[in-house]
Amino acid sequence: MTGSNETFKEVLRFEDDALLNGSRRFIDDLEPRGTLHIAMARSPVAHARLASIDIAKSSSMPGVHTVLTGEDISRHSTPTPIGWEHIADQRRTESLAMATSTVRYVGHIVAAVVAETRAIAEDAVDAIEIDYDLLPAVMDVDAARETNAPILHSSWPDNVLATDQQTSGDGRSALKSAHTIVDLELDIGRAFGCPLETRGVIADWGLQNQAGSQRSGSVGRLIVDLNSQSPNRVREVLSQVLGVSVSDLLVRVPAIGGGFGAKANYYGEEIITCIASKVCGRPVKYIEDRSESFVATSHARDAKMSVSIGADGDGSIVAFRSDVVGTLGGEVSSVGMGPIWVSTRAGTGSYQIPNADITTTGVMTNRTPFGSFRGWGSPIANFAIERAIDALADRLSIDPIDLRLKNMVRPEQMPFQNGLGWRLDSGDYPEALRRTLKSVTQAGWFDEVTDATSNGRFVGIGLVNFIEATGVGNSRKMGRLPMEQGGFDEAVVRMDSTGTVQVFTGQTGMGQGIETTLAQVCATALGANVNDVRVVFGDTDSCPYTGYGTGGCRTAPVAASSVMLASQDLQGQVLEMAASLLNLDEAELTISNSAVSGPTGEKVTFADIGTAAYRKLNRLPDHHSPTLQARYVWDPVDRTIGYGSIAVMVEVCADTGLVSVLRYHAVDDCGYVINPAIVDGQVMGGFVQVLGSTLMEELRYDEDGNPLTTTFRDYLVPLAGDVPEMTVEHMETLPPDVPSGSKGVGEAGTMAAMSAIAQAVEHALPGGYGWIRSIPLSPELLLHHIDAATP
Amino acid sequence: MSGTGTHQLSISINGRHENFDVEPRSTLAELLREQAGLTGTKIGCEQGSCGACTILFDGEQVRSCLMFAVQAADSEVWTIEGLASPPPENQTSPTPLAGLPELAEAFKRNHALQCGFCTPGMLIAGTLIGEACGGAINEERVKEGLSGNICRCTGYQGIVQSVVEVFELKTSNPAGEKPQ
Ligand code: FES
Ligand code: FES
Repeated sequence: MTGSNETFKEVLRFEDDALLNGSRRFIDDLEPRGTLHIAMARSPVAHARLASIDIAKSSSMPGVHTVLTGEDISRHSTPTPIGWEHIADQRRTESLAMATSTVRYVGHIVAAVVAETRAIAEDAVDAIEIDYDLLPAVMDVDAARETNAPILHSSWPDNVLATDQQTSGDGRSALKSAHTIVDLELDIGRAFGCPLETRGVIADWGLQNQAGSQRSGSVGRLIVDLNSQSPNRVREVLSQVLGVSVSDLLVRVPAIGGGFGAKANYYGEEIITCIASKVCGRPVKYIEDRSESFVATSHARDAKMSVSIGADGDGSIVAFRSDVVGTLGGEVSSVGMGPIWVSTRAGTGSYQIPNADITTTGVMTNRTPFGSFRGWGSPIANFAIERAIDALADRLSIDPIDLRLKNMVRPEQMPFQNGLGWRLDSGDYPEALRRTLKSVTQAGWFDEVTDATSNGRFVGIGLVNFIEATGVGNSRKMGRLPMEQGGFDEAVVRMDSTGTVQVFTGQTGMGQGIETTLAQVCATALGANVNDVRVVFGDTDSCPYTGYGTGGCRTAPVAASSVMLASQDLQGQVLEMAASLLNLDEAELTISNSAVSGPTGEKVTFADIGTAAYRKLNRLPDHHSPTLQARYVWDPVDRTIGYGSIAVMVEVCADTGLVSVLRYHAVDDCGYVINPAIVDGQVMGGFVQVLGSTLMEELRYDEDGNPLTTTFRDYLVPLAGDVPEMTVEHMETLPPDVPSGSKGVGEAGTMAAMSAIAQAVEHALPGGYGWIRSIPLSPELLLHHIDAATP
Repeated sequence: MSGTGTHQLSISINGRHENFDVEPRSTLAELLREQAGLTGTKIGCEQGSCGACTILFDGEQVRSCLMFAVQAADSEVWTIEGLASPPPENQTSPTPLAGLPELAEAFKRNHALQCGFCTPGMLIAGTLIGEACGGAINEERVKEGLSGNICRCTGYQGIVQSVVEVFELKTSNPAGEKPQ
């Protein structure tokens, strides 16, 4: 679809002006008249039976409207469904949004107070008296799988949510006959999306608005404003658990202060806030505070992996095995163990490995529920394969880059079935690696390392590959799994009587610039000036249905495709009317910059056409029907796989063991780049987030299950001084089955960061490759390594 | 709640004097957002760690989540709404941080914001650093100056670049003319 859209490539973001002057509204900036505030009472212990809850004192405090306990929640709602319940025999918890008899993590909601102000609600939370009968906390997956381990969910025989296995070729038996086998035990710490804006929801379930809902006997229409990446998914879940028809629910999304997957999950607070509004008959607002966010927003990553790789003596990889055990929390989040399961599909990365065997297991522990974080499980899968290759290179004394080039999927093999269920659809993987190497060589990185090393500094370079699965579909294939979720995306494009165009999308903006990129796509396909296009999202009444929401990098491959196809349809309607207005044949017309021209300078603008279509129908012959609107539903054929290579330069401080990343370069192929600045921003921002979880961020617990990281002083996210100089280069291979020509890119930056930094640290220090096995990197470990390796 | 225990105070906000009744435990951030309706000042942590609530308080950068509203009696406060927009006709005192609107333009050019939640704080902190550095501005100083402001989206590169670019230009060319 390249061509005239080049005109708009460099357009600046339409989102920015209102954000720069502080006028754009986020969830906490909204408050309908009469709003009450809700505060959650959360368990201070990791595992216990709720012996008693006494709300008498709390309920009688001035300004308190109601105190809800698990009993109220069970009266008003049914158990929360799990969106990613896609593995055969995946177990169910049947848990409600609030604990009823057992608490399973610190932060588990046990009651909620609705009051005039948030301060009163918080005071009243402190006045609730709760007795807990403590149970032993199960904090790690090994303890959770011991034969006599306490069982978190009493109806289960053990603590395992599900296990999934995928094999190709002869699976792990092929390892035995390999010339060289390397085994690694890997451990990835717990981190989370941690958007700067916490979660929030306002529920207004009054007697307003809807005659229809009165007829069905409910108390009225439920209007929910919240900062979710997936408004339609929230709407369906609320419909299901609250017993309201989907049409009696309006979900709206204001500006969102970052999502990163954390806001793609749905949460109990949303259900509880709706019930609170129903009980009180007033709008109720919940805003998570920062400390709560560390125990209440989905955690992620946290996995142990046992990995083996086998190769011939010349370095041809013949087999790969990975047993991945994910440390889930005390309850199951909306994505189940999806992020862990991804390893079964993504396990072999950018490489052609004839025999593979990957098992993933999700194990419950008394930690915060485990959910989505940008990249899902793919950065973990990347770490396993890239680490294994580094260790293999070390064993075989082959350069890690040569070993990679030897085993990567080659362009002539595309589309390539990876044997684990994923089709790598397009691209030139080795070229991305060669380009990365060339670019950093030309930029003098290796000379810099030589200089630094001769001055006694520990500086090194890491260079690794990644794939990124984007735009999940197809809806029928997904429907065959035991989950109720499609992957299609609907778009509506409408031109008004002034010739201005509105694009209605089911996607959600949360910083990634969809109001700009989707306008670019529409303008190009329609022939409009991009400044005449507005993108509307985040209102389930006016915007189309996109069940999956904004996650898994869907906007560029899926939503942009539906917008493009709808815009082309609208263009046909516009040309037809223009032909009538100009008395010319359609074939003679050209359309661009919001106007249609004939061969000898005849011209009508979109405004002229809009006027005729809505207000002066007499200008058009009878066969034209009024209005200008098109709708398209695009259902992806399959995932489309982005890929690339990245290089980082790091320095290890010999005195402290601390690692600084000095430089970052990426060669990324996400197909057609709609807006280079936005794409680069996604790549760099994603990289910096995982730089954080590689070097400084970790959600830690003590052995009793008390969280040790509940402020930004314990959970250290990257600051301006922690980030390197970053550059991004593009290849643009158009995927074969994607109308927009683009692959997703929002998660690309996260994929290879852990692997690249680990390799670079090993390059900086003596001792070869492949010995770093755990993330975040521990300065103590590095100091110890330096001590042991230097005489 | 009843009026007992509330304090009356007067603050100049964005160049206009305003009177408020505040609870003793209200923070200045709450006063600005909830009573004055100025929601451009964001709350990212209420723990003094993220900088999203940064405002200009008697000429200094302050985290409004850490200050009680009563402490702001008779002070002069500027928020992003007053600093980033052209002054309204009835504004009595001149807008400080004259470089801020230009920095906002640079943010846009350099894709220095994604979700925009950190942006008001970044613009205020960035302008103060830029002005304080004078001619001696460089990336290191800007990064150090912004070390109290978290951005979770951008990776900071565009932010730092914008501050350097705008204030380098300002000092080398104080009249603000575009170099040829
Ligand atoms: S909200 Fe004030 S510093 Fe974070
Ligand atoms: S732009 Fe989102 S936090 Fe900075």
